[in-house]
Amino acid sequence: MNTKSLLLVLTLSVLGACTNVSQGGYYWGAYSPTYFEMVKNPSEETSSRRLEALTDIIDTSIEKGLRVPPGVYAERAMMYLEKDETLAMADFQAEISSYPEAQPFIERIVSRYTNQ
Amino acid sequence: MKIFKRLGVVACLFFIASCETLETKQEAFPSFYDENQNPVSMVIVPAINETAAADAGQLVSATLAQPFADNGYYVVPLPIVTQIFQSEGILDGQQALGLPGELFRNAFGADTVLYVTIDQWETNYIVLAANVTVGMSYVLRSTATDEVLWSYRAQQVVDTSADSSGFILADIIMTAVQTAVTDYLPIAYQVNSMAVATLPYGKYHPLVGTDGETGVISTRLKEEAINELSQ
Repeated sequence: MNTKSLLLVLTLSVLGACTNVSQGGYYWGAYSPTYFEMVKNPSEETSSRRLEALTDIIDTSIEKGLRVPPGVYAERAMMYLEKDETLAMADFQAEISSYPEAQPFIERIVSRYTNQ
Repeated sequence: MKIFKRLGVVACLFFIASCETLETKQEAFPSFYDENQNPVSMVIVPAINETAAADAGQLVSATLAQPFADNGYYVVPLPIVTQIFQSEGILDGQQALGLPGELFRNAFGADTVLYVTIDQWETNYIVLAANVTVGMSYVLRSTATDEVLWSYRAQQVVDTSADSSGFILADIIMTAVQTAVTDYLPIAYQVNSMAVATLPYGKYHPLVGTDGETGVISTRLKEEAINELSQ
């Protein structure tokens, strides 16, 4: 292990100590519990709790200067799609800027939606 | 006497070595260290459930994105994958198994597909005690070549006995009641982390490219996962 990676590990462990940052450098908040809830019991209530959790992950990550975990922007965009198209497109764009790998499937979703 | 002891140690080492062949991450999974391949993104198909627990598949599927993303990969968001699959009439991983990698490449732009098989999800009762076993096999395939890039099998056994109340019958009932579905989830997480620990770091992990020499990969567990999937 070189000094650069050692420094990174140190930085990450310091970060981890104050904001629940995972070993990969992400803040996941209530990502998993709210997903289980939604899968087991799909309802208005569980999906609004899911939306809250995703928003918390995005806001906290930005605040702490962390990269938003993969898929979080895209998932919130899907939830916005039916209600507010502008918000949805902004989130899809944010997913692509954070992760260029997301571009193909997001373009597919967007074109499917606009062709409806 | 001393020579016997020494011989014993050698024999033991020899015995261990004969049943477990160990490799480094780079030896076991070379494509991750090859600049021309170097997979970045993955689609996780719904888990294939080979056990009697009806909702195990759904629950396990929900535990997968986080550990693989944390290991440095771009994981196509599961709720979106599920939605697209459902619109194509694919409801479980078994159906996705026969599809060519190219299809995932076109639909999601992903480099790889991850298949997870739940082969053990059970509770064994021994009068006053119970233990829960969860076993899973993971196979990551390239969408360009259909080649297996990474595979591993992991298993965890956890004692879930309730605190003794002093009444034997009450204890038996407690034990049975306490092994609820939710008890499996932390175990599923442990099994995930055992397996993911053998996967080379991806692009978004701060230590990407530095782990080639680390990790002792069991060749047996690597191959078991592939066998499990092709059954």
